[in-house]
Amino acid sequence: MLVRELYSGAYELDSGDRKMLATRNMMPGMSVYGERLIIEEDIEYRLWDPGRSKLGSMLLKKFDIPIEQDSTVLYLGAASGTTVSHVSDMLMDGLVYALEFSPRTMRDLVQLCEIRPNIIPIFADANKPHSYAHIVEKADVIFQDIAQPNQAEIAAINSKYFLGEEGYLMLSIKSRSIDTIANPRKVFREELAKLQNDFSIEFEVLDRKELAPFHEDHLGVLAKRFMG
Amino acid sequence: MLQKQITPAQIYGGSDIKEKEFNTWFGTLLLDDEGRIDDCILFDNDPEMLAAVVVKLQKEMLPVPLRRPDIREAAIECGFVKLDEEYDILLRDVCIRAVKNQISRADADDSRIIQAVEALDDIDRNVNELGERLFEWYGRYFPELDMTGEELARFVSTYGSRTNVPSDHHLFEKASRSMGPELSFTDEEIIRAFANNICSLYDTRRYIENYINNSMGSVAPNLCNVAGASLGARLMSMAGSLEKLASFPSSTVQVIGANRALFKHLRTKAPSPKHGIIFNHPFIKNAPWWQRGKIARTLASRISLASRTDFYSGEPDTSIILCLEKKLEIIRKANPVPPKREPQKKSPVRGKSRKGKQGSRGKMKGGKN
Repeated sequence: MLVRELYSGAYELDSGDRKMLATRNMMPGMSVYGERLIIEEDIEYRLWDPGRSKLGSMLLKKFDIPIEQDSTVLYLGAASGTTVSHVSDMLMDGLVYALEFSPRTMRDLVQLCEIRPNIIPIFADANKPHSYAHIVEKADVIFQDIAQPNQAEIAAINSKYFLGEEGYLMLSIKSRSIDTIANPRKVFREELAKLQNDFSIEFEVLDRKELAPFHEDHLGVLAKRFMG
Repeated sequence: MLQKQITPAQIYGGSDIKEKEFNTWFGTLLLDDEGRIDDCILFDNDPEMLAAVVVKLQKEMLPVPLRRPDIREAAIECGFVKLDEEYDILLRDVCIRAVKNQISRADADDSRIIQAVEALDDIDRNVNELGERLFEWYGRYFPELDMTGEELARFVSTYGSRTNVPSDHHLFEKASRSMGPELSFTDEEIIRAFANNICSLYDTRRYIENYINNSMGSVAPNLCNVAGASLGARLMSMAGSLEKLASFPSSTVQVIGANRALFKHLRTKAPSPKHGIIFNHPFIKNAPWWQRGKIARTLASRISLASRTDFYSGEPDTSIILCLEKKLEIIRKANPVPPKREPQKKSPVRGKSRKGKQGSRGKMKGGKN
């Protein structure tokens, strides 16, 4: 099997007939959510299903992912930690703050945090960044996967609180949670305009692509703080 | 500069927290106008206590100064920790403790009832399937037996083979003349064990039902009073929690459980649903068809009021149900006879009502997740 590093910490395994996305397993022998483990040249990889992860599909959509080995990542909407576990793999030397507001999924997430040394769980509402400003440091990357009608606003206020000067914002916009019946394209346009103009922080959108066929009616956005 | 051995209560006991104070998980930083650290008061390096600080600060949501230092750098500058690694390890430990603490506190009364309601639905679904199997299975040996469901399960569990039906039983005649073949001992044992399981599921179901009836009265007394225990519990389960149900507009409460009809209405020109799960309320179920829509609207508004009273005050308030009954009386008097059915046509009114509904769209979403 051929192994190629796509980004820092994310790999593409090529078995000849099929290409698979994977990260190098930080905790060898342990599968987090039932994903397959593959050992190649004494290195264990965890397969990463882009259909279950917005970040995974953004990788395959050739976004220029800004996550480095030593990044500090603030992950909003961590859910059970499926994607967070892969982020944790990518951060050999970094830290991810995983924020989630549902007690049910937090139950799973906190168990993941106990196994992996570089995830810090936060049980809080992403609408209220001042309720966790006493824990979270300046982040190099904010990744947001929250299906709420005010996604743009949440991204903006969290960036204001926690995004470093050179930091990046990665956002997955789900049109169905903003307007169930409107045309997704129109929703995306409006949300991007909101993100760029409506809040007291300005962004420069570096890249935007729809995440189909992995996720229907989702838009991936990569943005940077606008330095005038 | 360092002042150790101080408890969070000492620091946060007072209410006069100034703008220039930045409260962090490891201590309070006093900042100058530029956002630099003037002074700091640090907590003890005790994870359990720091976790309590984290939970407390999260609840208080104190304002955070706009110009503030990065808290990791501050922790090292103030001498709380010496190295980055030390900071990581301690913060992780503290946060995991804090989250566990918060999760165990988050288990509210309504979530217990919601689990019970969903268990009830699971039992219903399964017991039906098992009952059908028993009907087919036992029917081979005693086709004349005119029983289904619980009655059948109890019968099989009591007698097993039809040859065991005693002579004073009213089915004795039927049992001894049945065209079904004899039931062998092994088969009888297996069918009986199967039937026993079904019976115990029925018992559990009753047990859970009683539990819901009893605990709804204390968790949501008004909702229980207006909607009834099982409907109230079901509404909470479909909304996700009592809090969510209380925050829904009553137009949403009216159509909870009619998701498909509602979205069909929003996407196409289908008529709007009049009632969702609240249809099961005897007020609507027993009403003539032409009053149902009106009653559903009134009932939904009272259910909203009741759930809000329950969530925010918790005090029983009998005026809600009295007011509902008065309104129902008015509706019944105002609409004594069915309106003449208009000939079916595509009226422009429908298009209008569709627009008017837009405000509530999307609210149904996320109810169950």
